[in-house]
Amino acid sequence: MKKELENKFLTDFETNQNIVHKVCRIYTTNQEAHNDLFQEITIQLWKNYSKFRGDAKFSTWMYRVALNTAISLYRKSTRSIKTQDFTDYSFKIKAEEYDDTEEVQLKALYDAIRKLNDIDKALIFLYLEDKPYKEISETLGISEVNARVKMNRAKDKLKKVLNP
Amino acid sequence: MDLDLDKYKKAWGNQSEETNKVSKVDIYRMAHSKSSSIVKWIFIIGLLEFVFLNSLYFVFDMEEAYNEYKQLGLYNFMIYSQFVLYPILFYFLIKFYLNYKSISVVDSTKTLMNKIIKTRKTVKHYVLFNLLYVFIFGIIVAIAALKTHPEFNSQQVLISIIVTVITLIIMLIIIWCFYQLLYGILLRKLNKNYKELAKLEELN
Repeated sequence: MKKELENKFLTDFETNQNIVHKVCRIYTTNQEAHNDLFQEITIQLWKNYSKFRGDAKFSTWMYRVALNTAISLYRKSTRSIKTQDFTDYSFKIKAEEYDDTEEVQLKALYDAIRKLNDIDKALIFLYLEDKPYKEISETLGISEVNARVKMNRAKDKLKKVLNP
Repeated sequence: MDLDLDKYKKAWGNQSEETNKVSKVDIYRMAHSKSSSIVKWIFIIGLLEFVFLNSLYFVFDMEEAYNEYKQLGLYNFMIYSQFVLYPILFYFLIKFYLNYKSISVVDSTKTLMNKIIKTRKTVKHYVLFNLLYVFIFGIIVAIAALKTHPEFNSQQVLISIIVTVITLIIMLIIIWCFYQLLYGILLRKLNKNYKELAKLEELN
């Protein structure tokens, strides 16, 4: 039974791991911290997997655990790491859609998000991932109205960083 | 309004999958490694505090201490205060454990932060309770000790009490500051994020 659960977890996680990578990218600024946070999220996902009920989508559940780990459980402050030493950017534009300006925009977007506070990062991330407000408010534990107000402020901050 | 961000959102949507994919073997290895989360640290430090503060009572030679208390006429007080003290310690320990167990990363961000802060508060109250106990106990011992010196005049008595109170307060403040620093470092990020998230609830 446990083996079966474990196999299902590994398959689910392997297919959806991109979500966790994106969370790690916005909450950390170097490869070592990225791997560290990735590992902590993996631990938390596995620890709670038996409690995961099929009524929610695995990816939805993953967003919540990954963000919670990054915001509340992860010890290292991102503030202390100033240098960005992602030597090889692990994020790129898909080959078939490749567009020079888009790649520049993507890089600028990551740089800008990293300058936001932890809560705004989560808001912007969920917006970029096209999550409905209902899901955003449930994930963060605030009302939908507050989620909207907060989102608008976060977007304004992001725009300011993107176009100073 | 979001016209500006739309192109960025499009670029975000068009980003490729992570190039350094983590294999199932690595996921398995990571899933079974030790967590180093804030919650775990709070639990470990909290537990150490319970053990440390309790073991203080054992560090001193209890038999000798009891003889001293007998001489000061505090023996009965000692015994009765233990009856009060241990249920309270037990209450704190259980509350701490239950709070810790209720922490779940599956909760919403706000609930999760709330529970972490609540768990940490239990330890805070426990430490405060202990410091208060030490303070009251210290004063009672000082008064009892003064009674064994009937030759002291009222001015000497007054000075002795003032010196004792000031010494106790300074000692306890130092312990408290050290303790605040420890949790301050551990929870700085969490407190900041909580304020950030709760800020809006108050505004609306």
